[in-house]
Amino acid sequence: MDYTFDFHAIGQNMGPLIDGLVMTIQLTIAANLVGVTLGFVIALLALSRWAAVRTPVMLFVEFFRCTPAIVQIIWIFYCVPILFDVYFDSLTMGVIALGLNLAAFNAEAYRAAIQTVPREQLDAGIALGLSPIQRIAYIVLPVAVRASVPVLITNGIGSFQQSALVALVGVQDLMYAGKFLATETYRPIETFTVIALIYLAVSFPVSQLVEYLERRRGAASH
Amino acid sequence: MTTSATLQLGNTMKSVASPLADTTRSAALPLVKVAGLHKSYGPQIQVLKGLDIEMKPGERLVVIGPSGGGKSTLLRVMMGLEEIDKGAISFDGKPYISARGDGRKTQIDTAVRREIGMVFQHYTLFPHLNILENLILAPCKVRGESRKDASERAEGLLARFGLGAKARAYPSQLSGGQKQRVAIARALMLDPKLMLFDEVTSALDPELVAEVEQVIMQLAGQNMPMMIVTHDMWFARNIASRVVFCAGGVVVEDGPPEQVLGAPVQERTREFIDRVFHIRQ
Repeated sequence: MDYTFDFHAIGQNMGPLIDGLVMTIQLTIAANLVGVTLGFVIALLALSRWAAVRTPVMLFVEFFRCTPAIVQIIWIFYCVPILFDVYFDSLTMGVIALGLNLAAFNAEAYRAAIQTVPREQLDAGIALGLSPIQRIAYIVLPVAVRASVPVLITNGIGSFQQSALVALVGVQDLMYAGKFLATETYRPIETFTVIALIYLAVSFPVSQLVEYLERRRGAASH
Repeated sequence: MTTSATLQLGNTMKSVASPLADTTRSAALPLVKVAGLHKSYGPQIQVLKGLDIEMKPGERLVVIGPSGGGKSTLLRVMMGLEEIDKGAISFDGKPYISARGDGRKTQIDTAVRREIGMVFQHYTLFPHLNILENLILAPCKVRGESRKDASERAEGLLARFGLGAKARAYPSQLSGGQKQRVAIARALMLDPKLMLFDEVTSALDPELVAEVEQVIMQLAGQNMPMMIVTHDMWFARNIASRVVFCAGGVVVEDGPPEQVLGAPVQERTREFIDRVFHIRQ
């Protein structure tokens, strides 16, 4: 390798990168708020005993799980305004696209967690005279939400990285700032190395947190 | 802890005195009347084929029989956990479970059902609640009892079962035997008039079985009516005032423990008893 790295130009232009990172984090937080709450509602609907409720919800989940995120983002950016005649700024569109995608994945996390609650505990709830709503509120939810936290955080890190895709449609996030800087400075290798390190610096501690949580859960269940 | 439990419960390990000494009660209405119970899982598997059982007040009925014979299903139906195809059950003279047929849902009077408590084989404690919270959840949420009152009663029960020091522990910190004792205490918090025990020691390590059976013996000593499904014939002999042998979804033999366990009349019962005791020796 005879390439000589020169980070000089990047060091002088950290300002736009920081702005981009702030945008990326805002986008991630907003998408996660949508994903965590909407995902929960979707999971409950997906477990409905009525097929008329369950089927459309399952189709929604499968659509987002079985198509590339980049296709979803571009589709929402270009097709939704034309088909439905609604226009939002690019940031809002980014939050919607990433949020819906995340909601579909989180719904599966919640659904799996809800199904880990043993049938016997619900039976015990009936035997103790708890109503169906009380059984959900006091037996299923506390256990399911706790069990799904590691997966929700993992999906959250995924959405942080996936948010780089919205740079393609003009959201001025970290990736967008990086692309801009790379062309400005003629230093794409240095720029994208720094960008990668920034994504890593944010994601790594969070993924360590997930590992810690899973270890603790594993220890508690024995 | 275990020591104090044993001290407290030690004297109950002897066979419990006859519960039918109170003749005025035994002459009264049956406490439980199960009539013509039919239950199937799909068209192929018929679990109950017209099961009839009557239980008098104060009785301790032990239900034995081969796996798939309908014992556990009977208890689950009595608790309203299973739909039935035909039949009806009344408790204390009040009909509370009846089939409506044609695939419609079984009718259950929950107010009557709440007079019955049940303990299951396993996974019964709520893992996110500590022992005390497990005990007071239903009294507070279902009966609207104050947290303070319920906690006081719970502490009392736990102390009685040798679990006083475990009130703030979580289920994962308890042994299997302790968990089952807590599950029994939790059911008792609702002051049931009948307790159902569905193979409560089957999932336990052998050395933990005794402490759970002792607690049930203690309840028996206080004349708590109970219906017990068990594979433990020694326990059955010690606690039963009457034994019912269920097989093929019907009652095959019904009588005092000395008869059903000792000298069964029916061929089918004899085969089962021979096999079970043979395995255990």
